[in-house]
Amino acid sequence: MSIALALLLLAAQSPAAPPAKVAASIARVFGAGARADTLRVDTVSVLRVSRADSLLGFAAIGNVLGKDQPITFLVAIDPVDRLKDVDILVYRESYGGEVAYEPWRRQFRGKSAGDSLRVGKEIRSISGATISVHAVTLGVRRMLAQLTAWHQSGAIR
Amino acid sequence: MRTLLGLGFLVLMAPCPLQILAAQERTTVGGYGEVHYTNRTGPKTPAVVNLARFVVYLAHSFDDRLAFRSELEVEDAKVEGGKPGGEVALEQAYLDYRLGDWVTLRTGLVLAPIGIINETHEPPTFNGVERPGFDTDVIPTTWREIGLGAVGTIPGGSGLAYRVYLVNGLRADGLSAAEGIREGRQEGRHASFANPSFTGRLEWARPGVKIGGSFWYGGTADTNAAVGTGTFGAPVVLVSADARYDSGPFALRAVVANISVSDAQAINAAYGQSVGSRIAGGYVEGAYDLLRLVAPASSQKLNAFLRHERYDTQASVPAGVTRDRTLARRITTFGLTYKPTWNTAFKGDYQLLRNAAGAGELEVLSLGVGYQF
Repeated sequence: MSIALALLLLAAQSPAAPPAKVAASIARVFGAGARADTLRVDTVSVLRVSRADSLLGFAAIGNVLGKDQPITFLVAIDPVDRLKDVDILVYRESYGGEVAYEPWRRQFRGKSAGDSLRVGKEIRSISGATISVHAVTLGVRRMLAQLTAWHQSGAIR
Repeated sequence: MRTLLGLGFLVLMAPCPLQILAAQERTTVGGYGEVHYTNRTGPKTPAVVNLARFVVYLAHSFDDRLAFRSELEVEDAKVEGGKPGGEVALEQAYLDYRLGDWVTLRTGLVLAPIGIINETHEPPTFNGVERPGFDTDVIPTTWREIGLGAVGTIPGGSGLAYRVYLVNGLRADGLSAAEGIREGRQEGRHASFANPSFTGRLEWARPGVKIGGSFWYGGTADTNAAVGTGTFGAPVVLVSADARYDSGPFALRAVVANISVSDAQAINAAYGQSVGSRIAGGYVEGAYDLLRLVAPASSQKLNAFLRHERYDTQASVPAGVTRDRTLARRITTFGLTYKPTWNTAFKGDYQLLRNAAGAGELEVLSLGVGYQF
């Protein structure tokens, strides 16, 4: 099976986050009153976040498989493609929920797509949450790269 | 694990971030295992090689909230009638119903949430070929019993998580001098529910830090009135604390536990054993990633580690029992763990098995490989 087909199949199975959680996450990351508009890039939705006429940044939601469950997360970037924050929207695993803790997520802030983001180096792990730590770190790294590429190519603006 | 379609890790952007998609049923397979080479007898005598564990992890989610998880283990590669060793057993098999981050309800065969190794026992997660002796003789890993409970994180950014269960109790007729409560476990096999027991854990985490406290409280008398009566007859009370710290190339971990068997005298009288009235001990372990010195950019690891364990399954004895000082064990283990990836490990270590009596002491050379996925 081709990777593309497999991706498509998995994408269809991937659960999304409840809208209220997404709205709360956008408000937390960008401040109350931030407006989020949905842009389409290929088949993917990206949230364009603004207040009045000024662009605050972009956000996208993804899923990465932990031990046996998808972990639904949000990555937000600012207008110059630095990572603003990561949020864990839905965590379904039986162990490893520490990836949702703010002190762990905080490690990603300010990073750019060109920055190295490796577990055990730039990103400290948490004992007993190793699988989720690796999964979310990989997910964030790829999402950050994708959002940055789209922004710099003008696919989102 | 995540081998839904044999693709390794996948990251997917949600096609519709503001829309709830119908949750789909899905089954995932994973596993872990370890092969050991052990020479307990010295360099001029033969060693033993053993496929110590082969575990298949099977999980199924029925919807976004309800999931089944299990681990089926084969020990020593093979089970054959009349031959020693070998075991096929379920290590875990339970249903989870997720109400929210703060609580998931759980029922089935669950792991006692005690210490470090019992819940996190995949070979790449610990140094040394064999699990620490403490995690065999004091905390009897892999300790699992049938029951129900709740797990979750305490909201508000506290960094605290908990697990609490009501499970079947230990059985006094399995307690022993050398292995403490180990053979008192029932492990989900026609387990007597005469003495339901409580167990739980509270832990606090930050990047690189995890600190936990655990307990077990329950009777063991089963139906033997000579040992004890009532739900909590002949109680076993366990308290344990553990800590893990990682910073750059350094990793430290430590565990201590104290187990009280207040009716050890009655248990010994009933079953002809020399069970201690107190079982206690712990270990500290430090590790340093040598690859940081020679290849700081590498994501591989070569951990040099040193662990020292001290524990005594007869830390106190009831009247009528003379302490066996060979049970006051002091085990020093040092060696290397090479991890080409975070979920594979090649191990080598040397153990000095000592005891307070100075009798029957051993030195053990071990090599091993382990994986998880």
